[in-house]
Amino acid sequence: MTDIFFDLSVRSVRLNFLRSILASIGIVIGVVAITSMGMLGTNMQLSVKQQLSSDVNTIMISSDVVRTSSTAGTPITSQGIDKSTLNDIRNAAGQNEVIPIHRTNTQFTIGSTDGRGSIYGLDPNDITKFLTIEQGTDIKGGSDVLVGPNIANNFNMNIGSRIKIGQDNVSVTRPTVRVAGILAARGFASDGINTDNAIIVPDTWYTDHYGDKDLYNQVNVILQNIDTINQTEAAIDEKVNRKTDIVRISDASSRLSGISSTLGTITTFILAIGSISLVVAAVSIFNVMMMSVNERVQEIGILLSIGTEKGEVRRMFLYEAFILGIIGACVGGVFSLIIGYTVVSAMIGNTAYFFLPESIIYVPYGMIIGIVVCILSGLYPAWRASNMDPIDALRNE
Amino acid sequence: MNSIPLIRLVDVSKVYHLESGDFTALNHISLDISEGEFVALMGPSGSGKSTMMNQLGILDVPSTGEIYIAGKNVAKMTALERTHMRRDVIGYIFQKFYLIPLLSAYENVEYPLILKYKKRDTTGKAAAVLKSVGFDEEMTTHRPNQLSGGQQQRVAIARALVNEPKILLCDEPTGNLDRKTGFQIMDILADLHKHGKTVILVTHDPKIAEYAHRTIQLEDGKVVES
Repeated sequence: MTDIFFDLSVRSVRLNFLRSILASIGIVIGVVAITSMGMLGTNMQLSVKQQLSSDVNTIMISSDVVRTSSTAGTPITSQGIDKSTLNDIRNAAGQNEVIPIHRTNTQFTIGSTDGRGSIYGLDPNDITKFLTIEQGTDIKGGSDVLVGPNIANNFNMNIGSRIKIGQDNVSVTRPTVRVAGILAARGFASDGINTDNAIIVPDTWYTDHYGDKDLYNQVNVILQNIDTINQTEAAIDEKVNRKTDIVRISDASSRLSGISSTLGTITTFILAIGSISLVVAAVSIFNVMMMSVNERVQEIGILLSIGTEKGEVRRMFLYEAFILGIIGACVGGVFSLIIGYTVVSAMIGNTAYFFLPESIIYVPYGMIIGIVVCILSGLYPAWRASNMDPIDALRNE
Repeated sequence: MNSIPLIRLVDVSKVYHLESGDFTALNHISLDISEGEFVALMGPSGSGKSTMMNQLGILDVPSTGEIYIAGKNVAKMTALERTHMRRDVIGYIFQKFYLIPLLSAYENVEYPLILKYKKRDTTGKAAAVLKSVGFDEEMTTHRPNQLSGGQQQRVAIARALVNEPKILLCDEPTGNLDRKTGFQIMDILADLHKHGKTVILVTHDPKIAEYAHRTIQLEDGKVVES
């Protein structure tokens, strides 16, 4: 059974085809805008999350007390985690890997080019527990180092290249190290060890040249089981920070959720911008519906005078708005897949998450919102049509 | 029940409040029309014929006084009840036909059935009524703008008849037709009257009014001859 009021609406849309299509284009644009913006935001979140979550199983511990020189009034000299604290951490961490880290910044020279970057001092046995060597080998000799991929690229380093560490100064002979291997890219590492622009030296070499023996800038605990993160943190806190806060304990998951919520805010914001176009579309649908009502005053008069219920007249015009919405939403759905894919691949460079439910759900969302906006825009025109006085309406030419 | 006529007007007035002052379109009219009558409503323009038709067709309610149609007080009905009465008890035939432009001839006749039964007509009633008023079967799928005036008025009569109303209200039904077609349409109405319909006809044309058995003459909102 087909509803005659639906038939009437279809015929009215067909009769005013161009006008109806133009109004639907507004909805198409609105649907495409919110859908592709939503997908862009979600894909951004998913890809950032994936990048960060590779090392969320790491607890980062850094010193909370600042060691100052013994003379009052002189500035801070350094800070760190000492040997007994490290032992406490090891005890509290149980089976999990504990990795003490030395870190500083340095100048260096390769050939005749000067550079600047981080330098990490690590126990050579710890390196492969969380870093990947892409080229060359592990550190074998006392002056072997590993370099990050960006440093290697920028300075054209190869395996066996020599690096002079320290500030260029005529009076001092700078130590020279040899590149044993080049690390794989890590990107923005959430365990605080950003090696892409760094040089990794053996801890013995580091303490020989920078001092700070048994005094570490950071200690990372790599968990075997991510679910134990809270209890391990509590155990360390209990053991180390018993009297006063000696260390600050953090992990990537809190940073991850911080970044996720920021990205969520950005997604909401761009969605809001996208929905402005839907508001514009709503106005054009409203306009077309008012035109449809105003052009059909006499017809409405006929319908009402021969016994059509007000609700039936309303229904007829709401169907018309619904049809415009369906056309706009369907075309918009197809276009948002195409445009959304293009935008995501152009702006994120990674479409691996595009077809995941979290992302693709924006297509039906966008379509439903488009249809709802159309129906809402049709409410007043439909109400107006149904409340006309049949005598006045009939007299209208 | 038979003692109450089909239509009864008791001291009915209709006053329009215009910027230029109140205008009394109907002035204390009392009138009975019994079932099976064929009444012509005549009078110069401005005499209140259209207002009277709107009252009889319950498209409007009186300012004062009471109108009873089929035993019911129009002023005391809800808007929905009035709508249903327009659909079920009254058939309208207009000077300008007023067919629904987006519907075919057949659909125009089927439309009141859909309003009443909330579904498409499968009984063949619409087609039968259309045939009974002499409409060409081959043209049932045509839209109103593809039909001549005479054909349009036949469709309009079929539409008015399809829900078997008691009353047929005809507002200048021949006004937009040539003389010959006009008389054909009047013959159809006379025939319907013969089969028991109450027909109320507004016309200027005394020749057309001759079809009626009773003439009500209106002047300045008052009945001067009944």
